[in-house]
Amino acid sequence: MIKTRTNEREPQKFLSRCPQSRFSASSALIFAFRAVTLAAVLAISAASPARAQETPRGKALGKRVLCMCGGCEDSAGLCNHPGGTFSGPCETARGMQKDLDAHVTRGESDDQILQAMVEQYGPTVLVEPPKKGFDLLAWIMPVAVPLLALVLVWAVVRRWRHNATLAPAGGPQVSAEFLARAQQESGKEPGSEHNE
Amino acid sequence: MDILGSFALLLAFLAAVYAVLAGTVGIITRRTLLTKSARNAGMAVFVLVTIAVACLEYFFFTNDFSIVYVVEHSNRALPGFYKFAALWAGQEGSLLFWSWLLSIYAFLVLFLNRKRHPELMPYVGVVLAGIQTFFLTLNNFVATPFRVLAGPDGAGVMHLAKMSEGHGLTPLLQYPEMVIHPPMLYLGYTGFSVPFAFALAALLGRYPGEKWIHITRRWTMIAWCFQSIGILLGAHWAYAMLGWGGYWAWDPVENASLLPWITGTAFLHSVMMQEKRGMMKIWNVWLVFTTFMLCILGTMLTRSGVVSSVHAFAQSSIGSWFVGFLIITFVVCFAAYWKNRDYLRSDNQLDSLVSRESSFLFNNLILLAACFAVLWGTLFPVLSEWVQGSKISVGAPFFNKVNVPIALFLLLLTGVGPLLAWRKTSFDALKRNFAWPFGGGLIAGIIGFLWGFRDIYSLLCLILGVFVTLTIASEFFRGARVISARDGTNIFTSMGELTMRNTRRYGGYVIHFGMVLIFIGIAGTPFNKDLQKEMGVGESLRIGPYTIMCQTFDHLDNANYESDRATLEVFKNGKSDMLLFPERRLFHASQVTETMVAIQSSPLRDLYVVYAGRSPEDGKPVIHAYLLPLIKWIWFGGIVVVLGTGLALLPNRRTALVLRPATERSWADTLAEATPAIGAVARRVEGHD
Repeated sequence: MIKTRTNEREPQKFLSRCPQSRFSASSALIFAFRAVTLAAVLAISAASPARAQETPRGKALGKRVLCMCGGCEDSAGLCNHPGGTFSGPCETARGMQKDLDAHVTRGESDDQILQAMVEQYGPTVLVEPPKKGFDLLAWIMPVAVPLLALVLVWAVVRRWRHNATLAPAGGPQVSAEFLARAQQESGKEPGSEHNE
Repeated sequence: MDILGSFALLLAFLAAVYAVLAGTVGIITRRTLLTKSARNAGMAVFVLVTIAVACLEYFFFTNDFSIVYVVEHSNRALPGFYKFAALWAGQEGSLLFWSWLLSIYAFLVLFLNRKRHPELMPYVGVVLAGIQTFFLTLNNFVATPFRVLAGPDGAGVMHLAKMSEGHGLTPLLQYPEMVIHPPMLYLGYTGFSVPFAFALAALLGRYPGEKWIHITRRWTMIAWCFQSIGILLGAHWAYAMLGWGGYWAWDPVENASLLPWITGTAFLHSVMMQEKRGMMKIWNVWLVFTTFMLCILGTMLTRSGVVSSVHAFAQSSIGSWFVGFLIITFVVCFAAYWKNRDYLRSDNQLDSLVSRESSFLFNNLILLAACFAVLWGTLFPVLSEWVQGSKISVGAPFFNKVNVPIALFLLLLTGVGPLLAWRKTSFDALKRNFAWPFGGGLIAGIIGFLWGFRDIYSLLCLILGVFVTLTIASEFFRGARVISARDGTNIFTSMGELTMRNTRRYGGYVIHFGMVLIFIGIAGTPFNKDLQKEMGVGESLRIGPYTIMCQTFDHLDNANYESDRATLEVFKNGKSDMLLFPERRLFHASQVTETMVAIQSSPLRDLYVVYAGRSPEDGKPVIHAYLLPLIKWIWFGGIVVVLGTGLALLPNRRTALVLRPATERSWADTLAEATPAIGAVARRVEGHD
């Protein structure tokens, strides 16, 4: 379970990460300064932060689409970059979550919204395989194969029961020696009725 | 030293090839001397691979940065035990580690059985050496760990180079479990080679009877136990290290470790059918073949990049080697089966549908269904891409939807199966055995529902969990009562006596109980809560009964990493309860950040707090708090499973004398020959004295 999540492809470019720079107090200050100015810019462009708009339906839908940043393999709703600069939803995930909420406020149905996401990002955006076409097989097989196996087991059981009725009426032949040993052991072994 | 290491690996390869060839010729020409020599070559592989491993470790501990593998996975400031563990941190080293573990198993098998089963062991040696040859091929010619740094000068002549400092170990791997989780998992993966080798050997050599199952029972259980520990440690690592509040993501590599564990579990159960009733011989052979092939498939998935996974191993062309090996393995297994299938003819009879036999059939059916569902979901993206040309995602929700019902059905069987008698169970016995446990389960369900278990699967899991626990308890109690009535001892002494007389059966029950605890832990998942909030000093957030207030932030620095840390005070019901210190570390060598999660664990729930970093928007510290019910039960259940396995591995107290065939030598005797002192102890343990 080595979850090494490198986020080289994570689009947090505004943080302008430089591989050589060390994380120190001064760089933290610069970083904080940049972030603050950026936040100010964001605050002007968008009246309210992304999180405030989250609707319950949007949140549920966020768990049904993958974050498409390419570095996390999580859903947009659960996106979390443990090895990244920030272990929380990345910019892509927050953008997608925002889109979803916008769709929800427009009153679209879940299917319509997911369809719109597929059109935008391609079929990989869906966390689960769609239940149509070839992908339906993904859902059918885990049910169909055990059922088929059950039928097979049933057939086997019938044959084995047939074998049992063909066996001699007195049961299998056992020697007197074996019987004596069995009695001795069953005397020792409590609950021998269902002993292994 | 790198020459010594490479040379040892090359010799090991030659020794393994010799063991295969000489062993085969020895079997065909029936020359004892040749088979003996092949066996010794098989044992020599262990010594040679050990030398290679020691060389690589020597490079790590002497900071020899002329070796590429050392440069990539270590640095000077890395603590010693991580330097040791860096052996298995990358592709080349972990393959070497794999070879080494396999050679240890092979050595033990060949050594402990060197004077036993003379008809069977040559075949076993050949099969094990064959597997070893494959891995040593990889070690020598595909992914050699002893590659040295070198570069061409102006004239194009290659020169050796040396770095002054390494790149360091991936920070995610710098966690105590890194030292123990991969070895456990690998011991599981490689351990299944032993029953595989015996099964194939018995088939190839047409070795009569169920002996291979008796010989390999302990080996299989040990491999299974290591695999269980490995999986659980990995889950715990993901939980404690990654800071996402989860422990299992249905990632392809996690699934790959689960697959052989599932078929191994099925095998451990279905062999009892063969031992007790001589049934299912073909099935058992194929089950152990499948388990081994799934181990190889799992190794391949981890390393080849066939399926997209977040688990780190450089994508490489090594996958085609594994595909080739899988195909060869399958062809050999199938040919052996086809040629000797008449030898596997079973005496299959079933007296009643309500019997232990049919419960084992269903157990295997369900386990294989789970295995198929996981495998299908893991490989479906590849299949879909192949058929339709476009890739799709199969994420965790798919696996949960498909596997949770299967797992619950399995839990039901765990309760029902052991209480059914072999051959036939009467309706009265059914009523007598199941009325109380089932009633208890229902009552627990009602209490659970009132208490807030309002998720259908969780509720079912609770009911079944209590049901299974009560059936297990009643088994112990009824058995102990008989003993206590006869011997006049108290009920607890009698339970100990009972357990020690049939360790396999009662150890099995303990394992079942451990699984119940794990299931209950998993059933808490639907009730997880989480909250992410920007927090300055003095600000607070509320989650469940807890209020978390931010006291201060500080900054730490040492040679390996520097970190940002938050000091949080946690109030429960208005009273100050504890301090938590979630942390984010930046590792100097690799420039990678890592979260150190602060977890307050209790049997009821874990409070799990992550210092997520500075908000990308305004630079304020962001705290992510999770409330995760019942998680602790999973880890506790894991411990119980391991204890149960240990118990089941112990020899029975008295019956060992009665049941052991006089012709078969015990492991204690074998050990006694090697080292009399240990052997004497072993004999006493085994109950010979």
